[in-house]
Amino acid sequence: MIEVRALTKRYGRTLAVNDLSFQVRPGCVTGFLGPNGAGKSTTIRVLMGLDAPSSGEALVAGRRYAELRRPLHEVGALLDANAVHGGRSAFDHLLSLALTNGIGRRRVAETLEQVGLAGVARKRVGGYSLGMRQRLGIAAALLGDPGILLFDEPVNGLDPEGVRWIRELLRGLAAAGRTVLVSSHLMSEVERTADRLVIIGRGRLIEDATVRDLADRFRTGVLVRSPRAAELANALESSGASVAAEPDGGLSVTGLEVAGIADVAARHAIPLHEVTARRASLEDIYLLLTASSVEHRSRDPRPAR
Amino acid sequence: MTAVLAAEWVKLRSVRSTYTILAVAGMTVLIAALLTWQGVQGWDALTPDRRARFQSPPMEQLLSSPVQLCLAVLGVLTITAEYATGAIRLSLTAVPRRWPLLAAKTAVVAAVTLAAGEVVVLAIFIVSRAIVGGRPIPGNTASLATELPALLGLGVSVMVVALVGLGLGTAMRSTAGAICAVVALLVVLPTIAPLVPAPWGGRLGAVMLPNLAGQLAGHAGTPSGAAVVLAGGTAGVGSPLLSPPEALLVLAGYVAMALGAGLVAITRRDV
Repeated sequence: MIEVRALTKRYGRTLAVNDLSFQVRPGCVTGFLGPNGAGKSTTIRVLMGLDAPSSGEALVAGRRYAELRRPLHEVGALLDANAVHGGRSAFDHLLSLALTNGIGRRRVAETLEQVGLAGVARKRVGGYSLGMRQRLGIAAALLGDPGILLFDEPVNGLDPEGVRWIRELLRGLAAAGRTVLVSSHLMSEVERTADRLVIIGRGRLIEDATVRDLADRFRTGVLVRSPRAAELANALESSGASVAAEPDGGLSVTGLEVAGIADVAARHAIPLHEVTARRASLEDIYLLLTASSVEHRSRDPRPAR
Repeated sequence: MTAVLAAEWVKLRSVRSTYTILAVAGMTVLIAALLTWQGVQGWDALTPDRRARFQSPPMEQLLSSPVQLCLAVLGVLTITAEYATGAIRLSLTAVPRRWPLLAAKTAVVAAVTLAAGEVVVLAIFIVSRAIVGGRPIPGNTASLATELPALLGLGVSVMVVALVGLGLGTAMRSTAGAICAVVALLVVLPTIAPLVPAPWGGRLGAVMLPNLAGQLAGHAGTPSGAAVVLAGGTAGVGSPLLSPPEALLVLAGYVAMALGAGLVAITRRDV
């Protein structure tokens, strides 16, 4: 369990996180989304006891991180995969972390095996690709077999195989009852992994919902196709729906759900060729929600006509 | 605490820079041998009356500054390498109370630099005196037994400088900044101190970092003593002002101030 309560963090005059509250529950993957500069990394740094909150609190397992005695056994984090001394081997890097929390060499070797780095464990990290460093960072998070995991942008720089590996790892950790928080600035990276979404912008909470609820809330009507479209449109309108004709001959119906539309069609014996509930893509919803809080907006990339 | 200590030992022994620095510090023994050999060649060619005026500072004094500087860099890098790479964040998530991290680094750096300092200083002495042989070169005649306190003091000063480097590195979080600060303490300030009007020039000179090892040994003032440690080729204090316990206290003060500043920075500031 992760709890953020009325968290505010100021750096000088910059307000990085502004009265942010949310909870991350065990047993599912929670995506932590927001545009660049939204305050995701700041929130994670406060959660990990690295930055002190200006006000409010951020708790892991019910306590402030600094109060944990052997923190690696309770919380694991991937913060920045490149933040490693390039001259050290992966094994020594992990060993130096493990020893501080009473974790032995065998567990270090085991973790390296788990992330697929066993073969290069004695090589200097400086020669690793970004993908290998991400795996090393994840190995560090898994060292103490913690119940709470935080990953800050874990798929940055990974190839498709690596992305899939992380996705399956995260799903597996959540299925085993762990609390998993994954930050990203791209919806596409988390939409297939996360069950819940916490979306922030300019340091404030924008949305805290399950992926399903969010998609349902932004449903944009039902697409209907029928060889007797005009007849069907009249029938639907007299049942209280509003109907708009699409350029390709389909009907866009709002005010009636799929079942209701099918019932109306059946009553009038009008054949249906397609009835599709249309949802906005999560990407669209995300862009819509965060549109007002993008830090550095770019101009429309389409060429002027 | 022993767990954090073991982790810091792994960190120190697993990077190349540690060995590079120790190797460079060890090279001063070779330099001492070459310089002594050159001096001996010159001495042998001199007439007796010119031999009487021959000046040659003992090698362990001449070369203690480079040894101190080398191991100060080790002390600095022990912490600033973590800030430079960002690895400090990971280290502090493993040791969230923070002070044990600095304490463990202090212990490991102290042990390694004290050992390295003593070994190098003794090696310089033994090698250079072996090359001098029985020649009565002024300043190079005392036996190991009589010089031992001064030599041990020089070794301690190497550790002190390394710990000052560690403390300043922790406070400043910058390799370049901390090394500049160490150079200021070892070279720049001792050069300026004697220029201050008497009696303050001498008093300031006495508490300058490079001048404390000699006073610690109580040898100051005698020609073979280590009071006049050359810092970058400039003269330090002429006569001893501090007793050995006082010199030890001042040395400890340098360490306490630098590490104290580091402790405040690491425990109070965001990383």
